[in-house]
Order: sequence, then structure tokens, then C-alpha cells
Amino acid sequence: MNSALIVPFIVTLVAASTPILLAALGELVVEKSGVLNLGVEGMMLIGAMTTAAVMLTTGNPYLAIGSAALAGAFAALLFAVLTLSLSANQVATGLALTILGTGLTALVGRPFTGQPVPTLGPLFPPALANDPIWRVIFGYSPLVYLSLAMVVAVWFFLMRTRSGLILRAIGESDTSAHSIGYPVIGVRYLAVLFGGAMAGIGGACFPLMLTPQWAERLTAGRGWIALALVVFAAWRPYRLLAGAYIFGLLMTLEVYAKTSGGGFRIFPSEFWAALPYLATILVLVLISLSRKGSTSAPACLGKPFSPAG
Amino acid sequence: MQFRLEKRAEPSRLMLYLAPILALAITAVLGALLFSVMGYDGIGAVREIFLTPLTNPYKWQDLAVKASPLVIIAVGLSVAYRANVWNIGAEGQYIVGAIAGTGVALLTYNLSGPWILPLMLVAGMAGGAAYAAIPAFLRTRFRVNEILTTLMLTYASVNLLNYLVFGPWKSPTAMGQPQTVLFSLDQSLPYVVPGTIIHLGTPIAIAVALIVWLVMSRSVFGFQIRTVGLAPHAARYGGFSADRTVWMALLLSGALAGLAGILEAAGPFGRLVPQFPTNYGFTAIIVAFLGRLHPIGCLFAGIILAITFVGGEVAQTTMRLPFAAVGVFQAMVLFLLLAADFFVRHRFRAVEPKTSARPA
Amino acid sequence: MSIDAPVRLALKGITKRFPGVLANDDVSFSVRAGEIHALLGENGAGKSTLVKMIYGIMQPDAGTIAWNGEIVTIANPKAARRLGIGMVFQHFSLFDAMTVLENIALGLDAKLTQRELEAKVRAVMSQYGLVLDPHRVVATLSVGERQRIEIVRALLLDPQLLIMDEPTSVLTPQEVEALFAVLRRLSAEGRSILYISHKLHEIRALCHTATILRGGKLVATLDPRVETPRSMAEKMIGASLKDISKDPNRRFGKERLLVSGLTTLAEDEFGVAIDSASFAVRAGEILGIAGVAGNGQNALLDALSGEILGTHGDAVRLDGTPIGLMGTTARRRLGLCAVPEERNGHAAVGDFSLSDNSVLTARDRLKMVLAGLINSGAAKTYTGKVIAQFAVKALGPHSTAGSLSGGNLQKYIMGREILQNPSVLVVSQPTWGVDAGAAAAIHQALVDLAAAGSAIVVISQDLDELLALSDTLLVINGGRLSKPLDVGAVSIEEIGLLMGGVHGTEDEVHIAPGGQIAVPA
Repeated sequence: MNSALIVPFIVTLVAASTPILLAALGELVVEKSGVLNLGVEGMMLIGAMTTAAVMLTTGNPYLAIGSAALAGAFAALLFAVLTLSLSANQVATGLALTILGTGLTALVGRPFTGQPVPTLGPLFPPALANDPIWRVIFGYSPLVYLSLAMVVAVWFFLMRTRSGLILRAIGESDTSAHSIGYPVIGVRYLAVLFGGAMAGIGGACFPLMLTPQWAERLTAGRGWIALALVVFAAWRPYRLLAGAYIFGLLMTLEVYAKTSGGGFRIFPSEFWAALPYLATILVLVLISLSRKGSTSAPACLGKPFSPAG
Repeated sequence: MQFRLEKRAEPSRLMLYLAPILALAITAVLGALLFSVMGYDGIGAVREIFLTPLTNPYKWQDLAVKASPLVIIAVGLSVAYRANVWNIGAEGQYIVGAIAGTGVALLTYNLSGPWILPLMLVAGMAGGAAYAAIPAFLRTRFRVNEILTTLMLTYASVNLLNYLVFGPWKSPTAMGQPQTVLFSLDQSLPYVVPGTIIHLGTPIAIAVALIVWLVMSRSVFGFQIRTVGLAPHAARYGGFSADRTVWMALLLSGALAGLAGILEAAGPFGRLVPQFPTNYGFTAIIVAFLGRLHPIGCLFAGIILAITFVGGEVAQTTMRLPFAAVGVFQAMVLFLLLAADFFVRHRFRAVEPKTSARPA
Repeated sequence: MSIDAPVRLALKGITKRFPGVLANDDVSFSVRAGEIHALLGENGAGKSTLVKMIYGIMQPDAGTIAWNGEIVTIANPKAARRLGIGMVFQHFSLFDAMTVLENIALGLDAKLTQRELEAKVRAVMSQYGLVLDPHRVVATLSVGERQRIEIVRALLLDPQLLIMDEPTSVLTPQEVEALFAVLRRLSAEGRSILYISHKLHEIRALCHTATILRGGKLVATLDPRVETPRSMAEKMIGASLKDISKDPNRRFGKERLLVSGLTTLAEDEFGVAIDSASFAVRAGEILGIAGVAGNGQNALLDALSGEILGTHGDAVRLDGTPIGLMGTTARRRLGLCAVPEERNGHAAVGDFSLSDNSVLTARDRLKMVLAGLINSGAAKTYTGKVIAQFAVKALGPHSTAGSLSGGNLQKYIMGREILQNPSVLVVSQPTWGVDAGAAAAIHQALVDLAAAGSAIVVISQDLDELLALSDTLLVINGGRLSKPLDVGAVSIEEIGLLMGGVHGTEDEVHIAPGGQIAVPA
């Protein structure tokens, strides 16, 4: 294959992977602290809708990204209050958050639906960003570089800082951490808010670089794939990067199947559309097979903690 | 006098039943506020969505038609959730159930007889159960979490439906529209109340709720489901297999979702179209929780959620309120219910101002 | 310690109330520099609440804490550590998936680089003769090693007061001796120790002073070295002790439970599997199984009860019938009942009523099921009988299991199984967390059941309980069972060595200074 074919393919792939990677990084930190937030899809939708709304009213992409992060964090705060302060079931509350995000964005986003949103173009000057070869490195939106920087930042935070050590400890044994004197609920609040902000930024990728507009259910299950990715990555940031790009590849295949035909015609386009979801299931099976029982999941994942006595 | 929050020794049964009512009431208040802020007539919106469907007798048949699939799916989900099996892909099982039943309809298109409809219903249940068997197999054999698999399969089922109605099952007489042929009379649900649109699905929904209630409260099967859900280790000690319970929970909830799917296809739709998935499978999750994971509770909760659907349509025509508002109301109910549940296990208690006072 | 050593910690009028209970009622005592001070009491006497307040996990409702003469408010554990108070918890506050060093770092408030920390850890370990590999993952360590992490973590803070909560309940007798050597050394350095326990002979051997709590109130502060275990026990329970009454002329009948070559697979990567266990229990016999926690006791109970299946049917025989491949329901039907260690969530469902908990295990033997439907009346009647005969304090069969106190729930569970009149009963930790009166009742019920012709297996970490209760003793270590020991003839030292994993004869074994058991290669 020559570079004229392969470079655009990679550029599309990286862009398609970015929202999942961002959201999954946030969820990874949340889960490392022992909380399972199934509301990623809802928070991504809220981030995406907020981004479209801010872009269409102000045109400032950085304000839009910031607003998406805030909106995602605010949605996550609802989840945190219910699960951490009112000890509601995390699975049910996460689902509720996704249902709320879907409904609320459909309602509030109606005025913006279908309007073209100005995208956030490449970070580097056109000489580099449009170079037929070099754009494979320099041709991306700042969101892509942000996602890569966050992989490193999240890894560094979790594995090399004391705060990260404490966060991991709380996810391993909340009771132990509590008896030593660490603020279990407080740390989990922060983690959940971070997860919400990251999901919000992940959602911002859709109107800002993937589908330059807002539509109902725009994220189409990417939030759920991000959740699966965390399992796939065995709660390790750098494996998350690899996983996200594998899914990006599948989603890029879908795009190519729709537009180019050719060899893709062997299967109907619906097959390619379903492929990322089916691949998610396959990946989960393979991961489970390769680990033989031990999951490496944080020991307290999804369990409520009430500091009684 | 001060108040202090404390854990109750026993969960409060009163609060257990009061919490859904409380959640609904607060939803109405918050909803009115929210829509007023958004520039609509907030109180009017609440009235149209929550009250008009009840006060207007013409709307009752709509309620029955909308509540039936919700109740059937939610009853199945309530069993699964009690077993701590998180089937959130009822929407997918609903679609595949409809596809399986429609398959029978297409095969029997040139035949007639009263056996066709029952066969379609059985096929629908089998289809839903088979689709739920995939996550059951993956969970019991490979320990893959069913939350993600049931959901991923829902997305896949939508694509399967699209493939069929745009492709091999497309009706040759529909002038290029993506849809199957219309079902024949022998393939459609009969109406049970003359002069209304209430079809066979309604009595089926009531029967399903009653039978499952009996089974869950009286039988060893129900006991097993509850034990596995609350204390898996104790269930093993009591002689109940966790894997078998996962299978039963998924097959039952899948079969009921599939039944709802084919009832909907053979009833209101009368064929399959790309617009067939209407989110009943997801809304039923709210129904199951609002019904306290109790079959009879699901019956009432199904009616309540049906009210919001019917009321949403009313508000859409009378006051141009976007239909998406219904989804917001429904999500708010679930959120507030989960919050109100806190008071099932906790309470405020009046305490005397602290320090020196130390009554025996 | 000298009597005129300065007072380090002084509690005055400490009171703490929880919903429905007064956990501490006007408790006052003091601890001097270098003093090893025992805090004695039954479960629920208020010991844990009291030390949680000293360590800043809870705040007293009334009363004062003075530290080196000054009244202080200890807002949280961090503040306690800053004052120089260290604590070793009964339930270790460790993180299984992390390394020893990470665990220690988490317990320190000072920020050190990994290298500095490792150097300090190694220094403390060599100073007190505590052996540990700083880079091992905690999940791979024995219980004794885990305790050493906690002790090292506390010692790194150079504490003036070290609180130890039930430290010996998980140790072999030899490990206990080694621990005492460390504690005496600390005392000699002028550090105070608050030692919580209910093991009276250990307190007599180690402590300078003992404070006894009962029902949240201080009963006495005394010198344990001049008391007898019995006198202290009676102060602790506020009544005279009952002894188990056994028929001295009892005879054993035929073999009812025969285990031969029972082997299981580990349930997870850190789990302990049973490795070809063989033993027999006769009618009327009580077989005790001793061992340090985490040496396969749970796997053994699960394999006997049928929760996990053996490799072949002959591995377990009940009155001659091979049952090794049968599940719990089938085994119960044939007469084998079991009580696992964990009450809430394993032996009982906390959110279920007691009646439903009776359905959990008694539904077949007591005919509570007809054609797949549960006869809740039969369950209620049976539950009422259990409550009455075992003096369970509950509102009735409708009370949820979770609303009962630990001791009452244990009485209910034991009653539920014993009244099914099993031919073989396997119980783990029958009196764990139960007050002395109830423990005596449970012991007597087991003895009576045996006298009526049942065979009983008691798995326990409490050696005193096993020595009092059983006729024959086995020791479990790393999933392997020792040969049967005659309870009348065996010495504590021998049992201790077997618990520590030494199966050889005595001349192959010597105890190294500091209590480390060494076996020549």
C-alpha cells in the first residue's frame, strides 16, 4: 500500500480513537479508586451537546472544550452524590445517568441539531499539518495530542505519585485506607469528577473533529466501548492506548466500507457497522481467556463504602 | 432539638413503598421548574404529561397498549436484577424476538390457521431467550461481564434489523420503503376490548406479572434467585448453583423481552420497519426499578411510565413540548428514586443537643 | 517499667454512644511510659470503640484524653500518629495487591523516596528481628508476615504508645513468643503498649497492668501477674464460668465420616487447596482441626460440605456412602450439615428473615418444600424452635439475620444445623465473636450432639477451645493435615510446631533466637 492511501487511513483512525481514549482514561481513574460509573455514555453525550451549543453561540473551541469538561464533571457529580453520599447502587445509578444524559441532550440540544459546527483544526501550521506524509504525525486536532498527553499524565499520576498510590490503595481496600486515615469518599468524589470531565472532553471530540454537528445519540455507544476498553486494558493506561487504536481501526473500516465499497462489499454495510460492538465482545472473551480467572480489577470495584465504625 | 442521620436496624417497609411516590412527586416539582426555566409552561407540561392521560378516558386504551410491553419486559428484568444479573440489553432481545417471530410470519405468509400466531409468539420468546443466551454463555463460561455484552448485542441487533428490512426481507410491494410485508390477519394480535386498540398483549402482560409474582414469592426458584442476588456465597452453601441462576435469569428476561417484541410487531406495528426499536427495552429498566423489582410493582410502574409516554404525545400536540422531554422526566424519576432509597435504610432521628447530657 | 514512670496516656470519663448502645460509659484509666497495659473484655465490651477514639478514628461524646499530661483532641489517625501513637489492627489495614513497601509507604505521613524508605524499613527490621521481603506482594504472604508489616509500619513512626488489637489470634504459639520478645524490647525502650486481648494466660505472661471492661463500663484495673485466668475471666463476664460437662466414660461407635485422599483445586491464585486429606470421625467423637488462619480451613469446610467438589466420590464417605461428588443439598439429605466461618453472607443471608434463612439449609431435611413451593409456615415453626432452644435474642422468625448481633446470629446458625439432627456436623469457628455464656452453651450443644451419636468436626483457630472440646486433634498447614493427635497426650509446643508447618521429629527442629523456626536443609 502506498502512503497516499495509508496516511489518510491512519489519520482517520487516530481521530476516531480519540474520544474513546479520553473517556476510557477518565473511567480508568474512577475504577482505580473503586467506583464503577456506567454513565460514561451519558456524560459523553452531555459533553458533545455542550460543545456544539458553545461553538454555535461563541465559536471559541477552547471555551467549548472547557464547558464540555465542566458539564461532564457536573453530571458526574450527580452520580457521586447518589452513590458515594447516599450509597445508591452504582450499576443502577450509572445507567440512570446514561438515560438522563440521552434524554436531556435530546431535549436541550434540539435548537442546535443538524447545524454545522466549526471544527477545531490541526494544532501545527499548515506546512506540517497538510504535508502528505508528515500529517500522520502533525495533522491532528489539539484534542488528539491532549489525549496522548493524558495517557502519560494518568500513568505518571497513578504509578509515580503519592496521591496516585493513595487512590489505588482506596480502590484496593477502602476499609484499610479508611482505618489508616485516608478520606475514602473525598478521593472517590475527585476521581468521579475527573472521570466526568474526561468523558465530557471525549464527547467534545464529536462535534469538534468527527461529525461537525450535533444530533441525538451522537456518540452511538462509544461510551460503552470505553468501559469495555478499561477491562481490556487491565486497568493500565498504556494498554488503553493500544486498545483504543484497535477500536479506532474497526470504526475506520466501517467508514471505508460505507464510502469506498470494493472489497468491503463482501459483507453488507450493517455488518461493518456492527463490527466494533461485536469486536468488543470478542475482545472481552479473549482477555478473560488469557487471564484465567485473575482479573486484576481493583478489589473494591463497584462496592459501596460507608464509614460506619 | 437536632436531627441526626443514622442507619436503621431493619430496612423500612414503609419507605420501600413510599420512595417511588416520593420520587414521582419530586420529579413533578423539579420538572415544572426545569421546563419553566427553559421557557415552557412548566406546570402545564407536568399536567399534560402526568394527569391528562388519566383524566381523559380516550387515552386509557393508549395506556394499556404502551404499558403492556413495558410490563412484560420489566417483569423479566426484575427477576434478573434480583439475581444480580445486569441484563441491560432487553432492547436487543426485544428486537431479536420480533425478528424471530416475524421470520415465522414470513414463512407462513401463504398459510392460514389459528396456530400461526401462537407459533410466532413462541418463536419470539425463543429468539429473545437465544439472544440472551449469548451473554449467559459468555458470563458462565468465560466470566465476561454481562452488562457490556448485553448492551453491545443491542447495538448489533439494530444493525441486524436494518440489514433484514433493507435487504432480504424488504417487501416487494412497499415501493422501495424499507419494511417487511404487512402481517396477515392470522398473524396479527386480536383486539380484546371491542372498539378499542387494546390487543391481546394486555391480558398477557397481566398474566405474566401474576405468574412471575407467584413463582418469585412462593417457589424454590424465586428463593434461589433472591439468595444468589443478595449473597452468592450463602447461595452456594444453600445448594444453589450461581451459573445455573445466571442462565435462568438471562433466559427468562430474554424470553419475556422477546415476547414483548413479537407482541409489538404483531400488534401496533403489523410488520417490521427500521423505526421498530422504540426504547421500550431501556425504559423497562426504569419500570423495573420503580416497581421495586417486584412483578406487581412493575405492573403499576409500567402504567406510570406509559402515562408519561402518552402524556408526552399529548403535550407535543397541545403545547409543542418536544417529545424528548418525556425521556428527561423518566430519567429524573429513576434518579430521584435511587436517591429516595437512601431513606429505606437510613433515617433522621431527633437527638437532644449533644455533649454533657447523657441520659441512661 | 517502674511505678514512678511518667503517665503517658490518661483517659478520663470517656463516653461513646451509638444508636441503641452505650459503647463506653465513663471509662477512666492511664498508661505509664514503658508499661504494657492489657485491655480485656468480651466481644462488645467496648474495647475496640475505646482504642478507635485513642487513635482518632472516632471522637468521644464526653470525657478527655490526656497525652503526656496535656489534654488533647485527636481529630484523626494522622493526628494520633503525629502525637506518637501507633496502631496494629486486628483486621489488618493492608492492600493485598500492593507490595510490602507500598503498604508501608501508605501508612507513613512523611514523604520519603522509595530508596530512603527501604533503608529505614530494613533498619527497623534488623533492629527488632522482623524478617520480611519489602518487594513481595502482600497477597502472597502468610498471616504472621502480614502482621509484621503492620508492626514495622507502626515502628517506623517511632511511637511512644503502640496499640495492638488482638495481635495473637492469628499466630502460632511460637510466633506469639517471638512477638512477645519484640514487645518486651519496646517496653524496655520506654515505649508504652496498649494490648487488647481476651487470651488470659498471654496477658498474665506479658502485661504489667490490665483494665477490664464489661458492657462498656470499666470493671477493674489490676495486676494480671497476681491473678488467675479464671478470676479475670469471671470479672470479664460478670458471672462464674461454666465448664463443659462430658461423660468421662464415653465411647466412640463406628466411623461415620471417612475422608481419604481428598484433594481440591485452589479457588483463586492466592487460595489454598486441600492436598490429599485423610481422616475418620466416629460416632460420638469430636475431631478438632487446629491451624493458623488461611491455611486451607475454608477450603476444607467447603469440600466437606459439598460447596466445592472433590476429584472422586470415594474421597468423602458418609456412613459408607461415597458423597465426594455430591453437592450440598444431596449431602444434607444424607445427614451431613455444615457451618462455615463467615456468618453474614455465607452461613446466613443478612437481608433475609431468620425464617428464610432456615429455608436456606433446612428445607429438605425438614420438609419445607412441596412440589417446588415453599411452605413458609413450616419454616416459621422451625425457626421459632431454634430461637427458643438456643436462646437467640430476636424479635421473632421475621427478624432479618442482619439485625441480630454477631453472637446471636451464631447461636441461631448453630441451632439451625444442630436441630436438624445431622449424623455428621462440620463447623468452623463455632464461637468466634460470641460472648462466654453463649460460647459455653454452644460447646455444650456440640458435646450433647456427639453424645447422641453424631460425628463432629470442629475447625477453629482457638486452641483453647479445641483442647477443651475435642477428643482428637488434627493440625492443618498449607492445605495439609497432620496425623491425628490424642488431645490428652499432645503438648502445646508440638501443636505449635505443626501449625507453623514443621512436620518432622523434634531433633530436626530447633527454635532460633527471636522465635524464628529453623529447619536444617
